[in-house]
Amino acid sequence: MIPSDHFTRFYNEVFKFLESQGEDQLQAYFLAISKNQEKHILELIETKGLEGMEEYWTHIKIEENCDMDIDRNEDRLELRMNVCPSLSKVMDNDAEPMGRYCDHCAGWIGPIFDKTGYHLVYDVIDRKKPQCVMRVFKDAAKAREAEKDVQLLMGWPGHKV
Amino acid sequence: MSEHLRYAEGGEVHLDFHGATNTTIDFIISRYGVEAMDAIFKKVGKDVYRSIHDDLVAGDTGQLVRHWRHFFTRENCDYDIAVGADEIVLTVRHCTAWHHVAKLVGTPSPHFCDQTSRTNEALAEGSPYAIDTEITGPGSCRQVIRRRA
Repeated sequence: MIPSDHFTRFYNEVFKFLESQGEDQLQAYFLAISKNQEKHILELIETKGLEGMEEYWTHIKIEENCDMDIDRNEDRLELRMNVCPSLSKVMDNDAEPMGRYCDHCAGWIGPIFDKTGYHLVYDVIDRKKPQCVMRVFKDAAKAREAEKDVQLLMGWPGHKV
Repeated sequence: MSEHLRYAEGGEVHLDFHGATNTTIDFIISRYGVEAMDAIFKKVGKDVYRSIHDDLVAGDTGQLVRHWRHFFTRENCDYDIAVGADEIVLTVRHCTAWHHVAKLVGTPSPHFCDQTSRTNEALAEGSPYAIDTEITGPGSCRQVIRRRA
């Protein structure tokens, strides 16, 4: 058994393999993970919207031991990851980190927001630092406005930046 | 024998990651075949768990046994470890990972337990030991460390 605690380091090895096979393969994998994740979050978004997203990430914050602030108002949800446990484990690793490890996060959640009519603005800030800011808007224009303030804007399958 | 445990973790556990592992195994095997998946598990055994691998190569099984105990306890598995003169046997009666995936998707990938078998083989590669994994039933197995003949 690869412990659930070490999934991220396994994930890192998978990303390195897929990157060597081509960008389209990595994107296809993000979509497969996105489909897998639908069973955990899709219904929450479809039935409760931003509140459902907050419920999901509040659960994740606890189970994944995240140092993360969650803020929701009527227009948007903001997740401010102060210390990301996922990238932290990949950096504290006896194997080499994949340089674009952070890309997977927008890679799986972006397609779910596209499917549910929300607008994601994902600021990775710096791929070598375990912190990021994710904002999800109801309104597309507000999302485009928010994109102006990001440091490293992340895309996802079907949404290049 | 050292008391080192390089990969210890604390806090909560997120068992849904096992579901993502299952999805990953199906994805890689469907596109690239079992050999590609095995090659990734080999990197997990030799690179990700380099400290345990290096200990085994040096003839020290201690860290692997502590690693097993630490993580099978954290994931609330039903297991025991018998340390004998000639072999060390990990008996898993209820694997939390397998059963969690079964709850999520019904039937785990037929290759789900390759993560254990192949990673164990890689951990032991080049060492005085072999680690054999016998799947004894759905979500149960026996993992045995023995000195190679």
